[in-house]
Amino acid sequence: MDALLEHLPLIVPLVIVQLLLMIIAVIDLIRIEKTNGPKWVWALVVVLVNLIGPILYFIFGRRND
Amino acid sequence: MNLWFVLFKKECLEMVRNFKVIWVPLTFLFLGAIDPLTAYYMPKIVDALGGLPEGTVIEIPLPSPGESLLMSVGQFDTLGVLIIALMLMGTVAGERKSGVAEMVLVKPVPVGFYISAKWAAALILVWLSYFAGMLASWYYTGILFGWIPFGEFLACFFIYGLWLTFVMTMTIFYSSLLKSPGLAGFLSIATAVVLGFVSSGFSHWIKWSPALLKTYAGEYLLKSALPDATVPALLVTAGAIIALLIFSSAVFRKKELAG
Amino acid sequence: MPVVSVENLQKRFKDHLVIKGVTFTLGDQRCTALLGPNGAGKTTIIRMLSGLLKPSSGTINFRDAQKGGDFRRLIGYLPQHPVFYEWMTGREFLEYAGELAGLTKKEARERTEELLELLGLREAAKKRISKYSGGMRQRLGIAQALIHRPPLLLLDEPVSALDPIGRREILELLKELKKQSAVLFSTHILNDAEEVSDEILFLHEGEIVEAGTMDELRQKYRQAKIDIVLAGKMDIFLSGVAGGEFIETRLIDGNQATFFVTDVEEAKQAFLQVIVAHRLPLIKFEISKTSLEDVFMKVVRS
Repeated sequence: MDALLEHLPLIVPLVIVQLLLMIIAVIDLIRIEKTNGPKWVWALVVVLVNLIGPILYFIFGRRND
Repeated sequence: MNLWFVLFKKECLEMVRNFKVIWVPLTFLFLGAIDPLTAYYMPKIVDALGGLPEGTVIEIPLPSPGESLLMSVGQFDTLGVLIIALMLMGTVAGERKSGVAEMVLVKPVPVGFYISAKWAAALILVWLSYFAGMLASWYYTGILFGWIPFGEFLACFFIYGLWLTFVMTMTIFYSSLLKSPGLAGFLSIATAVVLGFVSSGFSHWIKWSPALLKTYAGEYLLKSALPDATVPALLVTAGAIIALLIFSSAVFRKKELAG
Repeated sequence: MPVVSVENLQKRFKDHLVIKGVTFTLGDQRCTALLGPNGAGKTTIIRMLSGLLKPSSGTINFRDAQKGGDFRRLIGYLPQHPVFYEWMTGREFLEYAGELAGLTKKEARERTEELLELLGLREAAKKRISKYSGGMRQRLGIAQALIHRPPLLLLDEPVSALDPIGRREILELLKELKKQSAVLFSTHILNDAEEVSDEILFLHEGEIVEAGTMDELRQKYRQAKIDIVLAGKMDIFLSGVAGGEFIETRLIDGNQATFFVTDVEEAKQAFLQVIVAHRLPLIKFEISKTSLEDVFMKVVRS
């Protein structure tokens, strides 16, 4: 466990990246007019599925015209 | 040229508005950092959980620095390729499907500009993201397993980066060829996979295949010497990228946008 | 010299000849209506003029086209369902369209403000297009077509999607626009065509079946028309009037008959005489004049 603490500076950035992705996805989800499929489903996916959730949302959830 | 920049600026603005400029680099960054980290902690986690019967000896050797970086390249080769293809599959096909391409191309805009501006914007995004990911991997590898000389890292970065550029250009090509973004994405991924299989299966005969760039980047990293076929492969890939770009414009120009 | 001359234009989709050789010209400061029912080929013709479709045969000549130059510079085009980059604001899209059409950044900016004003989009200029209503989209579509002051405007059904007020505004705008450009607009509504156009091209199943200025057409089709309905014995009536030289055309449907005649008085006398002489069971006898509407219906029905 000492090693884990020692490398905390390495792990924290990754957690931040994950959180950042989630936050951006949530902000976008709130502002966007329409998504492919119901909005609330995407909200669940973005918040509950780590990392993959926001990416799935950006690729498949957004409507880009 | 001014007109080209107008189109290019629109592509960049679009990437900002739909957050691609943030989420793609962040995702690559994560992909790059996660493998060195898990490789380092896996033995310790297994140890700490201790759920194994007494006397079981599991040796999970720590990777060498080169192997660690290559694990990340492996991530880019699967998930990275997937993300690139999915994110770019609609770049032309989607605009054609929605009809907005018609609005643009009824203006005096050369088709070559239209395609190449999209390509350039995608190129910047892909290389930016890929660099973020590789740098993260290099940094984590350095701290956890030992440092790879930056020059060697850069060489590996550029060699493999050309393959990603090839995949990216191919996606834009399929996107110009087809009206369905989904099909364009599927075909790009399928082509990349098939090319990979065929090339490694027949690597004696087609040493210059773009799909072997990953192998060459790896060999270079582990043996510190460039395989002979690297330069031909790089040239073939660069040629293929240019050809695909020209084909994209040519194919798209022939299309009747309406109907 | 006309802005555009179109000669024997044909379009084939697979084995189906959709446009069967049309010839017409579009003149300066003239508004031409391409009038026809749905499926007549209006959109196909407009798309060929815009360069989005390639003609199967025939020629399109632009007066102002320079050798090696891009003829698209000369065209402002509004598709039937205009589509935009939804993530842009209305103002951004217009500026973008302007720069694509070859304006400098400054020109594009100034022209954008002008057009936002002209089309009543000032309020909405800052809003994302994804939030625009159908009417606003239509007006934005017209604005982007006008952005570079093209000598030829191609508008595909510019008013069909609008409510009566919006429709009125756009028709008024068309009257203004033709002062600077040649305008070709398609419609399936005769009233819209009558209202603003100088010239009408009647399109039916890929052919121009009638064309001319409004006055010419009105004159030509302002024939006298007599409708007769009998309870029976139509054959007796018809043989009785068979020799009348004043009859131009007749449409007979059972016990109903419509005659287009050259001399109303003479025809009236002759018809009534036959009816009285044979004691025919007359139900209706009506004298009227034809309108463009009749022509339109005749063209569409036949």
